[in-house]
Amino acid sequence: MNEQEIATKIQKMICEKLGVDPDELDNDVPLFDDGIGLDSIDSLEIIAGIDEEFGVDMTGVGKEPFYNVTSLAEYVANALDADK
Amino acid sequence: MTTDKNRCVVTGLGLISAIGNNVSQCWQNAINGISGIKKAKAVDTTDCYANLAAEVEDESLNGEESINWVSRLCIKATDEAMQDAGLSDFDNSPKAAVIMGSCVGGVSNAEKYYKSGRKAEYVSEIPISPIANHVAKTYHAGGVVTNIANACAAGTISIAYACDLVRSGKAEVVIVGGADALASVPFAGFLSLHALDSEPCSPFNRCGGITLGEGAGALIIESYEHAARRQAHIYCDVLGSGVSSDAHHITAPRPDGKGQMCAIRRAINSSGINPSEIGYINAHGTGTAKNDEAEFLSLHTIFDEEGSDLSVSSTKSMVGHCLGAAGAIEAVFAIKALTEGKIPPTVGYSQEDLSRLSDRAGKLDFCPNFAREKSLSAVMSNSFAFGGNNASIVFSKDVGNIKTKSTRERVFITGIGIVSPIGNGMDNYIEKTLAETPLECDSNESVIDKSDYENCGLKNSFCRKLDKFSRLQAVSGMTALSDAKLIIDDDNAEQTGIVVGTSDGPLSTICDYQQDLVNKGNCSGSAFKFPNTVYNAAGGYLSICSGIRGYNVTLTNGAQSGLESISYAVNVLNSGEEKAVLATGTDENSEIVTELYKKSGYFDSGNFKLSDGSTTLVLESNSSVLERGVKPYAEVLGCGTADCPVPFGTLSGSGKALENAIKLALDDAGLISGDIDGIVGFANGLKEVDKIENEALKNTFGERTTQIPAFNIHKVTGEGRAATACLSAAHAALILSGRLGESVESENLGEVAASRLNKLLVISYGSGGVYTAVIIAR
Repeated sequence: MNEQEIATKIQKMICEKLGVDPDELDNDVPLFDDGIGLDSIDSLEIIAGIDEEFGVDMTGVGKEPFYNVTSLAEYVANALDADK
Repeated sequence: MTTDKNRCVVTGLGLISAIGNNVSQCWQNAINGISGIKKAKAVDTTDCYANLAAEVEDESLNGEESINWVSRLCIKATDEAMQDAGLSDFDNSPKAAVIMGSCVGGVSNAEKYYKSGRKAEYVSEIPISPIANHVAKTYHAGGVVTNIANACAAGTISIAYACDLVRSGKAEVVIVGGADALASVPFAGFLSLHALDSEPCSPFNRCGGITLGEGAGALIIESYEHAARRQAHIYCDVLGSGVSSDAHHITAPRPDGKGQMCAIRRAINSSGINPSEIGYINAHGTGTAKNDEAEFLSLHTIFDEEGSDLSVSSTKSMVGHCLGAAGAIEAVFAIKALTEGKIPPTVGYSQEDLSRLSDRAGKLDFCPNFAREKSLSAVMSNSFAFGGNNASIVFSKDVGNIKTKSTRERVFITGIGIVSPIGNGMDNYIEKTLAETPLECDSNESVIDKSDYENCGLKNSFCRKLDKFSRLQAVSGMTALSDAKLIIDDDNAEQTGIVVGTSDGPLSTICDYQQDLVNKGNCSGSAFKFPNTVYNAAGGYLSICSGIRGYNVTLTNGAQSGLESISYAVNVLNSGEEKAVLATGTDENSEIVTELYKKSGYFDSGNFKLSDGSTTLVLESNSSVLERGVKPYAEVLGCGTADCPVPFGTLSGSGKALENAIKLALDDAGLISGDIDGIVGFANGLKEVDKIENEALKNTFGERTTQIPAFNIHKVTGEGRAATACLSAAHAALILSGRLGESVESENLGEVAASRLNKLLVISYGSGGVYTAVIIAR
């Protein structure tokens, strides 16, 4: 699975689980604050979703990887690579 | 000094929790610092990072499986309180009320429903509504019977409302309290939020999260005159209370503590005492970092003055967080502390914890680990809930200085917001009502789309979080505010309140959540969906999107909740600082809701059309109407609620309560039955319902019944439960304001000139035999 494929899956997961309009969510839009407006509850759901989808545990990970879909996909790809 | 007429006294106490099956056991264990937190039994904790709970151990409550565990807990506590007060039966007195708080009600029945292959027998006790009904039926309470569904503040708000009812003369004696049972939905939900502590919770200490508990607390509250007349033993007076809303976040409290402080200050000010007179606070103290931080801040800000000597403790460290029961249980602990002169401790501090506590506690004494003796004259109990609901109440040995308004202010309807299966908005409703097109399907749903959000100024980033129930409420609420041209700003935010009425709350979300847990396990709850399973989420979201920071309550007891909300709102306008209150009726329909109503046999007659929607009325005091120069639709002249408790899920035999409710509303309005020019009724195609309405109206109006124009909106809107009840009141206001034209079509007399209609009676029913009547005038 390449980073783009991971990003597509993450996008889909965020739209399904968090009620985000797919038209509003591209890979680069900031997920929190002034972007899509996600909050701390949503981040818990993203962590659970990523664990479910990719088997990657993001509990306790800092803010940076949650910036947008691209940064999440990068984190997941690196974690999957490290597992190999 | 509070006059005898305004005194509310506590004459009975009842308690069941993880540390005892009655008041005396619970109190002894609390004083000895014994915790009831153990490994959870009632919920499956497989693969869950936390597995503790504080559960009731009382074998005498086993058996009686037809009644949900939460109601059994509640009846146990109310039984003790009634006996303690020397009371046994109210003989259907309309001045005897029951107000019960709960957060999750009988949600464990939803688990049984899905695990049993969807057996119909589990359906009727899933909602919160049956709890108060069970209690009312046990002691034949014939007055206001309702449940307060404000999550963790429910128990405290119940007591506050009971006192408002007593002071306004609507009740003489009230069984009040709260009950909640440990169940998988709240357990998995708090787990998904990472809000459960894996160790026993440690409020004002490590603050690693909550430990869920279960139990019930009950109090008998009476007017002083009623108690004195029967020479009852009086524990203490209930002084003032404060209820407020954060308008901040659906689960987290405001970090600045503003909402909490508003509730605390309101309680102190309405008591007519100084903060320094409060010697002990039974704190909310859940053990989550966010709650405890905000609470430290609020307490220090208000109580850190020179000379204050305040002790604070969280009994949750022993009984866990009992959600909707918490306020009632903690009120009992606070009253015991007051009358016994002993303060129960907050347990769980190690030596190291103690030195950290002394830095944060400052002058406040948090009673770590050991009870202490202290002479007390007044105590406070605080509850801060999900949805940003805050409630605070004062119990005292002295009578305080409570002032009530000497004359009742007139209350007007100044705004209407409608969401219904026949379309949204008032113009749409008027058009469809005039066309009189009957609903065709048995099951009908309201639809909300992006244009509705845009019309209300709601952003997608906000609306995406809301489930259908909350969306219905948000749109009707915001539409009503805009119709009333009421702009919420810093000056009026705390003077505006919200009273949500609902029959079934967010039933689809609750069942959907439960179904997921049954399929995937309690470790897999969704953090995103969980907040929406709580009944008062809709009122919380409405507070967030509107900015309203005053009173906020969600009441639930069948369809009539949508009319009772008006009665409650009038009470708030007359007893609090609010100038305007949104009174609503909201219920949702969905595949799940239709399935549950089918299982209960509602569609068997072939004439019942289930629907949903949300109606919001802006109710405003006369002074506010004059100040703002707005033209009201109509005036609310009088309200009455009465109960003749029959088994939940039935109505037969309860007709007398409808007659009583109408009589109470007429008395409240200073009218006689001959003054009523028209009736907006609740007949909905169910034989039992239609029959009760017919008979009670005949008994009230005699031969005149056939000559009074009757109106009914159910044919056009379906049975949207609380939404339709509130919409019936809106319909009356529209007739009276001429918005439905110069002549209106009645059910029985054809076209009637709207100008000859001056006073309309609106009625509604609730399963189990509770009725509300409201009189609306031109």
